[in-house]
Amino acid sequence: MADQYDDTYTESQVILTSVKIIAPFTLTYGLFMTFHGADTPGGSFQGGAIIGVTILMLAFAFGIEPTRQWLSNSTLVALIAGGVSIFLGVGLATMALGGAFLEYELFDEVLGIAPKWGMETIEIGGIALIVAGVVITLFFATASGFTPERGTDSSSSPGSVAGRGGDRDSENGGDDDD
Amino acid sequence: MTMSWFAYTLMVFILLTAVTTALFRDVLSAIVVFGAYSLGMAIFYTFLLAPDVAMTEAAIGAGVTTILLLLTIARTTRPSTDRLFERVHWPGVVAVGAFAIVLLWTVLPEMVAVGAEDAPVWANADVTQYYIQHTYDDTGVQNAVTAVLAAYRGFDTFGEAVVVFAAGVAVLIVLKREVFA
Repeated sequence: MADQYDDTYTESQVILTSVKIIAPFTLTYGLFMTFHGADTPGGSFQGGAIIGVTILMLAFAFGIEPTRQWLSNSTLVALIAGGVSIFLGVGLATMALGGAFLEYELFDEVLGIAPKWGMETIEIGGIALIVAGVVITLFFATASGFTPERGTDSSSSPGSVAGRGGDRDSENGGDDDD
Repeated sequence: MTMSWFAYTLMVFILLTAVTTALFRDVLSAIVVFGAYSLGMAIFYTFLLAPDVAMTEAAIGAGVTTILLLLTIARTTRPSTDRLFERVHWPGVVAVGAFAIVLLWTVLPEMVAVGAEDAPVWANADVTQYYIQHTYDDTGVQNAVTAVLAAYRGFDTFGEAVVVFAAGVAVLIVLKREVFA
């Protein structure tokens, strides 16, 4: 694996400082929105998106490649596939208890768990994980771009015809990820 | 509900940003203005008493979409241009403008004020009132939107969650990659 970092990255004191200050708050806000979505406006879809955006902010401030290497592929697979599995699992659990798909009342009747907790499980454990994982995936997949079939052909990548400033090189930094 | 001067200013801001998004020739400028448009819409949704939609618009519209579009032009080309705005095609503007005026002329007088008591959404006691009255007893959560999404139509929401999952997988297929990160 070549230790080749994304060349579109330029260290900016302003972005770095603001992200360092803002990121804890956006992460907390996203978690709050996810966990409190049952009783206040918001919910796991919005909360999951904000949690995902926090990672995107970190990638903007600290560079896309270091963030990608810090965030392993198995973490994202666990987020996305785990979210779908938890959602499906809750739905199938109610069917196993003899009811319909996602009939939370059965948790109350059979196990003594309030129906609210079934909903919280699919909100927090299902939708939030899926949305956060997919937002991060869309970002990193787009950032790495199309992986060429034959080696790295960096000299003819389209960035060189873009007429950018000197800090924007034409290197295609998405070939060192597996 | 009477709209405050702030809401009217916001409407002008939204219209201006929407039109300039279409007019800007430089892609980067268009993306930045489009982000401002989404932010304006997010604030405007709170005036329409839809905080859930406002949060989605702020997170997805102003946040994720802007970042993904910026990333896309960083990865592709950004054609250099000497003109600030697109050349306007006036016959097209006249045709679309006439169509918009006819639409607004027919639709706007029929619309009821936001929060009016005779609005169909309130007057239809069988649907809206049912959820407002029964949500807490049925599901134990206070946010009726969450209750509808996760309980009353939970199977649909499962379909939506799988669609989001499929979107992530589809991006990997299109980009011919096998890893998420």
